[in-house]
Amino acid sequence: MKLKRFLLRYYPPGIILEYEQGGKVKRKCIDLLQLQKDTNIEIVLGEIAAREPLISPHRLDQVRALIAKLRERLEPDYKKFSLFKIMKAHLLPLTNLAFNKPGSQFITGSYDRTCKVWDTSTGEEIHTLEGHGNVVYTISFNNPYGDKIATGSFDKTCKLWSAATGKCMFTLKGHTGEVVSVGFHPTSSTVSTGSMDTTAKLWNATTGEELCTLIGHTGEIITLSYNTDGTQLLTGSFDHTVSIWDTETGKKLMGLDEHTEEISSAQFNFTGDMVATGSLDKTCNLWDIRTGKVIANLANHEDEVLDVSFDWAGAKLVTASSDTTGYIYDVRSREPLYRLEGHNGEVSKAMFNPQGTRILTTSSDKSARVWDVNSGLCTQILEGHTDDIFSCAFNYDGDMIITGSKDNTCRLWRHHV
Amino acid sequence: MGLLALLRKLHSSPTHEMRILLLGLDNAGKTTLLKQLASEDVSFVTPTIGFNVKSVQSKGFKLNVWDIGGQREIRPYWRNYFENTDVLIYVIDSTDEKRFLETSQELYNLLEEDKLANVPLFIFANKQDLVAATNVGDIAERLKLCNIRERQWQIQPCSALTGAGIQEGMEWLCKNMAIKKKKK
Repeated sequence: MKLKRFLLRYYPPGIILEYEQGGKVKRKCIDLLQLQKDTNIEIVLGEIAAREPLISPHRLDQVRALIAKLRERLEPDYKKFSLFKIMKAHLLPLTNLAFNKPGSQFITGSYDRTCKVWDTSTGEEIHTLEGHGNVVYTISFNNPYGDKIATGSFDKTCKLWSAATGKCMFTLKGHTGEVVSVGFHPTSSTVSTGSMDTTAKLWNATTGEELCTLIGHTGEIITLSYNTDGTQLLTGSFDHTVSIWDTETGKKLMGLDEHTEEISSAQFNFTGDMVATGSLDKTCNLWDIRTGKVIANLANHEDEVLDVSFDWAGAKLVTASSDTTGYIYDVRSREPLYRLEGHNGEVSKAMFNPQGTRILTTSSDKSARVWDVNSGLCTQILEGHTDDIFSCAFNYDGDMIITGSKDNTCRLWRHHV
Repeated sequence: MGLLALLRKLHSSPTHEMRILLLGLDNAGKTTLLKQLASEDVSFVTPTIGFNVKSVQSKGFKLNVWDIGGQREIRPYWRNYFENTDVLIYVIDSTDEKRFLETSQELYNLLEEDKLANVPLFIFANKQDLVAATNVGDIAERLKLCNIRERQWQIQPCSALTGAGIQEGMEWLCKNMAIKKKKK
């Protein structure tokens, strides 16, 4: 085995080793999920050196510098966001939105049946993806590549588009209900769709061919997501349950059935051994998916839990609720750390920035709020939308935010330069 | 209301929920009617560029009422909302005689839509509190409502502003729906 080069992954922090073995180039990743801005570099370096035979003593200086660089990227940034541009994006209300990985483009879906591709640096529209016969509800880039876009529509189809030309490459037909969730496999080889028809489907993202139908839920599938290595797919349903599927065979591996009301949100942690689920039964469950058992029932909210989200390293969890608050939990201790108080309406979305230092929430009070993870305090209120905010996103660098609203506009917010 | 709430209201449960679509030209009073149904303040209503949706309890039913903007350029998008509709409520501004032809054309376009086939039609002849309002009989005649044969329909005078006539309308609606739902 011969080490060829190092690659860095900033969020969550990791060093990827590219090496040669038996004439083949392979990669492996050293995850540094515990890395903090005040972590002692020498201790981390010592652990890596002891554990990883590929890293010989003469490489240590190099690795030390890499750890320092990763640590630097975790530094909390205390800059404020300011409104950069209001995009009168669509003729009708927006649904979801998403950045590509570099943050150079973002996409918005709308009730006006289109998806638009935007240039982040100028706020100009690049393409309008037209062709759906009804609301474009769910959208996704095939990150980290960013050359394909998938759109799921109330017209019961999913379309795959070229991000470069804006041309539709395939229309994925087969669902008998609205397509309301869509996701690309981490390698971009397949795309999965979740539908109100209670099934999910896997499709070949290169040929548009249907690979299999995931049958088992008895209610609408409203959320789906892959684990980090793409071996499993998680589906959450209005039938109160969550299922985990083998993406290779399409077989159901596990059903997580403890919630007593509809699932609103479900997500794997980064290492893929845990799942967090939010439900209209007012609670959030943490599951150990090696056993399929609930390891914590987080029941602090007084009303429906509408969203749950791990931070990128999987150390913390944030929830959003109709009770107008959010909670930050410590995943290891399963204890609430902070209650996020301030919104004047239900909180529909909550997410971490990739650095794990800030949380973004949106609410029916027409504002989005930015929160400091280490104090639970609101650092900023993003105001200006004139109707409910439906969706929001951070870019990978965590210095930009987009918010999409029922008021037919989206707003781009950037760090003060 | 978030996106999740919209998904939940996309399909009604078969027994005790109804999905009601509220359509009509701009300025017909759809949003005022919706707010009146939900017992909300109707003194400040602005043109709807998109939609509003509210859930109202009535006679043992949960009514999910969708009020869709009526401006000409967004009328082509009314089709977005047709699926799973239990009742179509069409609102007419009884004082806007100049546009009776336009509103009747839009109505007949709707009645030809496959996805609205057999859906009961309920027409509110709104703004009857104003002196300039045409009476219900004349409106029915001008819109040739007697030609509608393939579905149940009813016209009801009302004032969305004062609330007059709305309760009567909703009662008719729930009574007829209860029969229909039982048959299913």
